[in-house]
Amino acid sequence: MNADRKYAFYLGCIAPNRYPGSEAASIRTSKKLGIDLVPLEGASCCPAPGAFGSIDLNVWYAMAARNIVLAEQKGLDIALVCNGCYKSIYEVNHKLKHDKALREGVNEVLKEIDMEFKGTIDVWHLGELLYDPEIVGVEKIRESVKVPLKGVKIAVHYGCHLLKPKKERHLGSTENPMWVEELVEALGAETVQYRNKMQCCGAGGGVRGYDLAHALDITNEKLTNMVEAGAEAVVDLCPFCQLQFDRGQIEIEEKFGIKYDMPVFHYAELLGLAQGMNPSELALDLHAINTEPFLKKVL
Amino acid sequence: MAEAVSPTTSEKPKAPRIGVYVCHCGTNIAGSIDINAVKEYAKTLPNVAVVDDYQYMCSTPGQGKIETAIKEQGLTGIVVAACSPRLHEPTFRTATKEGGLNPFRFEMANIREQNSWVHMHDQAGATEKAKDAVRIAVAKATLLEDLYPKTVPVEHAAMVVGAGVAGMQAALDLANSGIKTYLIEKAPTIGGRMSQLDKTFPTLDCSQCILTPKMVDVGRSENIVLMVNAEVEEVQGYIGNFDVTIRRKATGVLSPKEAEARGIVGGGCTGCGDCAPVCPVTKPNIFEMGMAPRKAIYIYHPQVVPLLYTIDWDACVKCGLCVEACGTKQAIDLEMKDELVQVKVGTVILATGYEVFPIENKEEWGYKRYENVISSLEFERLICASGPTGGHLVRPSDGATPKRIAFVLCAGSRDSTGVGKAYCSRFCCMYSLKHAHQIMEKIPGAVPYIFYMDIRSFGKAYEEFYYRIQDEGAKFIRGRVSNIQEDPDTKNLRVYAEDTLLGRPMEIEVDMVVLAAAVQPTELTNKTRKLFGVSCSQDGWLLEAHPKLNPCGTTTAGVFVAGACQSPKDIPDSVASAEGAASAASIPIHRGEVELEPYYAMCVEDKCAGCGMCVNLCPYSALALVEKDGRTVMQVTEAKCKGCGTCGGFCPGGAIWMNHFATPQIVAQIDAFLLGGEQ
Repeated sequence: MNADRKYAFYLGCIAPNRYPGSEAASIRTSKKLGIDLVPLEGASCCPAPGAFGSIDLNVWYAMAARNIVLAEQKGLDIALVCNGCYKSIYEVNHKLKHDKALREGVNEVLKEIDMEFKGTIDVWHLGELLYDPEIVGVEKIRESVKVPLKGVKIAVHYGCHLLKPKKERHLGSTENPMWVEELVEALGAETVQYRNKMQCCGAGGGVRGYDLAHALDITNEKLTNMVEAGAEAVVDLCPFCQLQFDRGQIEIEEKFGIKYDMPVFHYAELLGLAQGMNPSELALDLHAINTEPFLKKVL
Repeated sequence: MAEAVSPTTSEKPKAPRIGVYVCHCGTNIAGSIDINAVKEYAKTLPNVAVVDDYQYMCSTPGQGKIETAIKEQGLTGIVVAACSPRLHEPTFRTATKEGGLNPFRFEMANIREQNSWVHMHDQAGATEKAKDAVRIAVAKATLLEDLYPKTVPVEHAAMVVGAGVAGMQAALDLANSGIKTYLIEKAPTIGGRMSQLDKTFPTLDCSQCILTPKMVDVGRSENIVLMVNAEVEEVQGYIGNFDVTIRRKATGVLSPKEAEARGIVGGGCTGCGDCAPVCPVTKPNIFEMGMAPRKAIYIYHPQVVPLLYTIDWDACVKCGLCVEACGTKQAIDLEMKDELVQVKVGTVILATGYEVFPIENKEEWGYKRYENVISSLEFERLICASGPTGGHLVRPSDGATPKRIAFVLCAGSRDSTGVGKAYCSRFCCMYSLKHAHQIMEKIPGAVPYIFYMDIRSFGKAYEEFYYRIQDEGAKFIRGRVSNIQEDPDTKNLRVYAEDTLLGRPMEIEVDMVVLAAAVQPTELTNKTRKLFGVSCSQDGWLLEAHPKLNPCGTTTAGVFVAGACQSPKDIPDSVASAEGAASAASIPIHRGEVELEPYYAMCVEDKCAGCGMCVNLCPYSALALVEKDGRTVMQVTEAKCKGCGTCGGFCPGGAIWMNHFATPQIVAQIDAFLLGGEQ
């Protein structure tokens, strides 16, 4: 067997703090698929693209570049599990590699802490590593399944920053992608197509912080569309979207009096379940929405 | 290096006396170049006898200066420092000739397009560059020689490639002026895109009704040789004498004439249609945009010209049922092979049209994903009385009549995302207005929602048509559609856009969406243009010789363009350009001869070793090896040679003399540039 592929694992903030199970799941499940995620020590906030990028792009570039340089120094590509982190770190890496003036400006700043961006590594979303047939691929994931998640219908939420802006991504269709559905179906579950699939979760771009009612309105519309299509759970690739769908349901109930009880999973958590991790290893009890009924159905 | 000697010069030329004229071009040149400084500098150059300037050298007084100086000062060469030779070289050559010199004793220094316009903010630099250009031109003018254009006879026949409305009009004009015209069409019928349209804007004439008479005229014209199912395969020759090889694709069906040639008396296809009903294979009819079936032996529609059935070989199973049904007419030959036909023509018109941009590439609108999102051409077939639904507009998902219809304009046009086209497709605004009118006329209570960027109603009576559609009740929303979502149950569509006049996002639910898709050049156009040596612009449309002053010509002499292969054109513009192209293409034919630029290569036979390297290099097949006085030497077919210089630059023995671009002339230019005025 080939040696594991090693990546610097950029944890982000929401996964370790709110959904530690998804961090555990990412490390353990990918290990079984030949991917070694080594936590990137000394990393800071990515920093959040909406909050920082909207106010001062130079700070955004410099902080993201510092995180990238930490991985460059280890000679490892970065893997991460959050769309927000992906936007910051993937996009800044891409921009700094292609824009000489920007790179020189950022390196001026990094010089103060004896660092230099060299452009020697790539940045990957875990979902992308799992789907890429040259790295893992759907077949290998299917083979790793011990507990097929039979008999459940799942709505996939891609999240905006993963696919857009199209010009600066390379993950194919931005309007009708199906690759995460393939990843979910590899675990034995069914997927559903629902109205306005590519709509935002409601939280991104600082909307959640600025106007919670508006953010919840969007989340509510998405959840309604998912329920209409028969979904019994939501899967996403982003802890921030996960937070919005999960905790958002509590807030929606408070504000609008609508109750969904729709469990929300990061794909890594679902993969963990299918590979036989038990719910406590995945800290599913920390989810805002009770996952028990769903677990009873599939396990 | 060895001194090359011109093979045309026998006597020693008299001492060169060059006249230099600097043009102000109003302020175009004088605004950024110090004319006096250039003049003073020119006076210091060797062999310069006269230096002058003028506001507009191309004007009659400007040209008069040249003519007078030649006569009075005995000049041997003329330099005009002005604009690009593409614009006024012919003007000044004529002036040179009027003065009594050979017109090829003229040399132009471009100090406008390549200087004053690009160095507007650097007068000192621009002036120095102008001095360089003048010095280089004087160096060449000193060595210029008399040249005499050759004339070649012009074949009294023309060819038009593409038989849409533009090609048909061009062919009819040529034929009516007495020229035998080969009309080549790749499809099984003439008529092109226009025959797919229901009504035309702004007059609302039935498209077929006004087109069919022209199709019939083409079919009946004694001077038109119509070849359908045909493509240009190979082109040889030059203006006046193009040898074109045409591939006539095997259709499997004999025309009455072809049957007669095979000795089948009274046989051949009469278009009776007995064959199609018995054919067991069904395929989508591309004429109906795939929305109606046809058999493996088929015609596009009942009005086709010529009325001959065609076999789709990819679909045919060669069961022979059609052969039986055809009976004694014996029109069907399942073993028919492609045929290559050679024709000789004097001039050629390319009228190869356009195709629709694959609008599914703009994923956000869901074309091919959502059943009720259709393209404009599909709309044309659905609203057309002779279309697959008999003119009843229906939703592909359920056959219901749509009431709320959104029209997305600029669908893939004026698109800077890199997915679509940067240009305006020019006729979509107008046909979408027409579509809006048609649904309001045919479907009681129907509401068109037109999503537009600007309405471009620029033609005659177009703006009035726009007002009319507004008055009829169409809803106009200025904003680009960002996204379309299908309701999985009803298959209705939710259209999202920003209403930029109100400055807020909006969404509406509609029953059907019609995408006014961008148009683009066809694949076959690109292949065909290469055969004729015609250039295209960056976006793939065929390039005219000059966008304003020579819109029908191309940079290949004798090849012209008509219709939408040059740029998106509506029917009036296509027909107008076709008439222009036909007129231009008929001129050399009616004159009977053309002058060729005398820029051809010549072999200096004493130096030629007969190695033949040049023969293989020549892109125009203009060179050959011949036996002469017991030696093998190269010989140039002057009419074929374009003067590109490939052979001259390569010849190891320096045995090729390029007229007007001879080695000593070019070396003198390089020396003048590198060594300054010291040469």
